[in-house]
Amino acid sequence: MTSKKAALGADGTTDQMRGKTMESTTLTPEKDDSSGLAGAIDRILDKGLVINADITIDVSGVELLGIKIRAALASFETAAKYGLEFPSGTNLETAAWKEAMIEKEECPQCGKRVDREELLNIACPWCGWESAKAKKRKKAGVKVEVQ
Amino acid sequence: MVILRPEETGLKQLLDRILDKGVTIDTSVRVNLGSLDFLGAKARIILASFKTAEKVGLDFPEGTNLNTTAWQDLKTMQPCPVCGMKSRRDDLKEGCPWCGWNYRPDER
Repeated sequence: MTSKKAALGADGTTDQMRGKTMESTTLTPEKDDSSGLAGAIDRILDKGLVINADITIDVSGVELLGIKIRAALASFETAAKYGLEFPSGTNLETAAWKEAMIEKEECPQCGKRVDREELLNIACPWCGWESAKAKKRKKAGVKVEVQ
Repeated sequence: MVILRPEETGLKQLLDRILDKGVTIDTSVRVNLGSLDFLGAKARIILASFKTAEKVGLDFPEGTNLNTTAWQDLKTMQPCPVCGMKSRRDDLKEGCPWCGWNYRPDER
């Protein structure tokens, strides 16, 4: 399961993380860029940004030019999730798009972005962190399978 | 045990704040030549995160599908007051599924 997840690196983050986890076995959160520019850009692209503008220019009281802008700025993953239109000719059937549509969440312990359902119901496939819900289920003896 | 998310400070939080609140820029410029009204420009610009844009009803570009689950989640997902992890409002009622926080501890 873990190796399969590592191979499926649709979003840029796993690519960057691959090297890190291989060399060190102690799992400490590495979030050094979280407050810098990279973190800020990450956040904007992740949240998505809407830019709407109406601009008019008139000469001697006669409206000459009008510009109406409806723009949305987002990462591929966010754009796909929010149903933004992609340029014609984009193939949305590739494995990377399917991976992007899976709801992901950052593990509170190791900070890796993993399948939300798996993280919540079983455990983090990277560091083994368990949510309160997973612990409760384990206690009650319920086994959950998330494919 | 409660695991808190790493404190987020600086630029990231500032951006978060700005985008979540939304920014409007409303300007008009007028250029006169003598007493003659020569040139005028008006610009109304809005910047906001998707969440805020959805909440205040901004236009999205044509062709945007507003029926995806991500749009639904924007309305129903709530952050836990202790760990900050988001979960659906109904799940949160029975205690935070992430950290186990419960606002009615006797029923835990």
